[in-house]
Amino acid sequence: MKKSTTRNAFLGAFVAMAVSLGVLSAPAKAAEQITLTIWTFGEVIQPGLQREYQKLHPEIKIIPIKNDVDPLHQKTILSCQTGGPADIIAFEVPYSGYWRTGNRPSCFQDLRQMKTSGTNAEAGVAAGLSANDIKKNYLPWRWEQGVAFNDAVIGIPTDVGGLQVAYRTDLFKKAGLPTDRAAVSKLWPTWDAFIATGKKYVSKLTPAEKKAGKGFIDDAGSIYAAVMNQGTVKYYQPDGTDAGKLVYKTNPQIKKAWDTTVKALDAGIGARLGQFTSDWNIGMNKGAMATILAPAWMLDYIKKQAPDTKGKWDIADLPVGGGNQGGTELGIPSYSKNKQAAYDFLTWYLAPEQQLKVFKTYGLFPSTSVLYDDAALLDYKDEFFSNAPIGAIYTKGVLKLKPIFEGELQRKIDATFGAGLGRVASKKMTSAKSYALVISDIDKLFKN
Amino acid sequence: MTTIKDSKGRQTAPLTPWKQKSRKEKKPLPGVGSMDGRWGYAAIAPFFIIFLIFGVAPVVYSIYIAFFKWDPLGESEFNGINNFIFLVQDSDFWLALRNTFSIWALSTFPQMVIAISLAAILRNKRLKGKSFWRTILLVPNITSVIAITIVFQQLFGREYGLINSVLGLIPGVENIDFIEGVIPSHIQIATMITWRWVGYNTLIFLASMLAIPDELYESASVDGATKWQQFKYVTLPSLKNTITFVLIVGTIGGLQVFAEPQQLAADGGSTKQFLTLTLFLYNQAFLNNKYGYAAAIGIAITFIVLIISAINFVITRKISGEGSR
Repeated sequence: MKKSTTRNAFLGAFVAMAVSLGVLSAPAKAAEQITLTIWTFGEVIQPGLQREYQKLHPEIKIIPIKNDVDPLHQKTILSCQTGGPADIIAFEVPYSGYWRTGNRPSCFQDLRQMKTSGTNAEAGVAAGLSANDIKKNYLPWRWEQGVAFNDAVIGIPTDVGGLQVAYRTDLFKKAGLPTDRAAVSKLWPTWDAFIATGKKYVSKLTPAEKKAGKGFIDDAGSIYAAVMNQGTVKYYQPDGTDAGKLVYKTNPQIKKAWDTTVKALDAGIGARLGQFTSDWNIGMNKGAMATILAPAWMLDYIKKQAPDTKGKWDIADLPVGGGNQGGTELGIPSYSKNKQAAYDFLTWYLAPEQQLKVFKTYGLFPSTSVLYDDAALLDYKDEFFSNAPIGAIYTKGVLKLKPIFEGELQRKIDATFGAGLGRVASKKMTSAKSYALVISDIDKLFKN
Repeated sequence: MTTIKDSKGRQTAPLTPWKQKSRKEKKPLPGVGSMDGRWGYAAIAPFFIIFLIFGVAPVVYSIYIAFFKWDPLGESEFNGINNFIFLVQDSDFWLALRNTFSIWALSTFPQMVIAISLAAILRNKRLKGKSFWRTILLVPNITSVIAITIVFQQLFGREYGLINSVLGLIPGVENIDFIEGVIPSHIQIATMITWRWVGYNTLIFLASMLAIPDELYESASVDGATKWQQFKYVTLPSLKNTITFVLIVGTIGGLQVFAEPQQLAADGGSTKQFLTLTLFLYNQAFLNNKYGYAAAIGIAITFIVLIISAINFVITRKISGEGSR
């Protein structure tokens, strides 16, 4: 017995060696082997589709390298000065304002000058298409976020982060609230109604549950971004210049978003679980929150973190309607040595067919508006979320979205406001004092 | 044969008798003599070339850009000493200084106590599996900081962390927020640092404890000293120099605390409660794209290190002066 295992092991090793040799020798047959290095984050590059593309094109090897959003931004800046190994780089929409202005668009290849080679003709991408030819497939304002102020196309949109409310039907039932998604959506036509519903929910919690830190919404601070993105102007106002005019001190939308959030914080409806922390992951399993303001891309995260809550979730409309959070661009850095292969991959990967697949498997909502009246998207239901027609729900939300002017330091300013609300949430400062500190912190950003 | 006389004129044996002979017969070995000269420089050149490129050049360059408003992808303009003026007026800088020293104090002193105690236990001659214990002490030190932070964040979680779960068993104790609280967050970071470095320091203390001659302990026990008294009057005084060494190395490390707070929250917390000096520098350079300002912060940190080194130097001299008395 012992002997035969050893022999099997030898045999196994031999087979493994033969296979790996085979793999190594296979590329020799292909005309030329191309390696595409993709700097990405989160779930932007889906392994399933990556494998599919490599099957279509055995000569291409795709290596995605993941970073967090902010370090990746930094890496992109540095590599633009020094050159780097990346062929495709992902950047988030809040950073698009940075790349579109100044002399920074030159860090990326102008995609209007690229033409598809036709290697993907069978897969639905015709030959000879420049970025301007595929533009019509995408949501117009979303496409513009990848167009620099010198009209160069520096990025093609991946997803659009439509925002809706994910809620727990079982917890709603326990608190005597309706559970049907249409009825739930009617509960909160406004943010005030949303907060009032939250208060009602929290009042039904037992003292033990309250002590355990349970709440209506995971993090009341997330209301800020939701309200903010329902306006049309954030911290920069379009004024004909590339940079835009800074209005972080005067824009009434900011005050409205801040006050609404502080009201929710004061009402105590939040479980104070910061998103993507370990407490948040655990809390999701323990029913610590009954609602999450969930962009489409977060649904997959909920599924993975709390698989046991399957069927207990549903999706309702966002108060007021039309929320937006996130979204990513894929661009080709100017120093890439494989621009043609990279462009061919991008045009295939971000084509409507592939975006639909990504939505169905990973929940990233397509930015290709040609799909928005496609039954394949509209009829798509998800078991995990009580068979909610999430395709139709998110489409409805995305169609209500208004484009927002993204400025150079958008993400940093957002983070500063986030920290300010964090101070209020942890009762370290009063709302007024914290707000003043936010403004002076932003002032500092523009000094020196 | 040279003879050595002490201050009172008595003859003593030469300290290194085996060297006396060779000095007379000193003859350069064939081939080696020529290496003393030019070839010697060639042999050490690789280090200095690399040091020049990766050590000196960046330092000089960063001093240069500290006087500019320096945007990595935009235009840069001469800014005079404005960066330094801005730095002194920047409340975040002083906050970072406070946090850095608070975290340093919270990590260094408990660490010292734990390391000396562990070393005293490991010194025990009857201990079984010595090398096993010594090896295992170094495991936290070779663990990635990121991995340590992820695990500790789960321990210190406000709602579901293990530490708060245990504290919750005591009636009347509220959950401690190890992120938002100033001192609690410092404790969390200091704990991670202690966890990582305590084993390393234990080994240093152990090495110098093993160098203490057994005779001292024997005579102490003959004099009727208890184990505690032996520790207090024999072990501790002999460790004086080692303690200073560990303190200096700990201080330099303490001024560089970066990865732990950055993993907790990249901006150093909502009230910047755990923004450390190096994190402050990093954020100015790599989040705000203010390279010139970050360089100025770097220079400020250099001066802080110099001041602390000077203080250390004075204390060390004083201690070693006492030792020889």
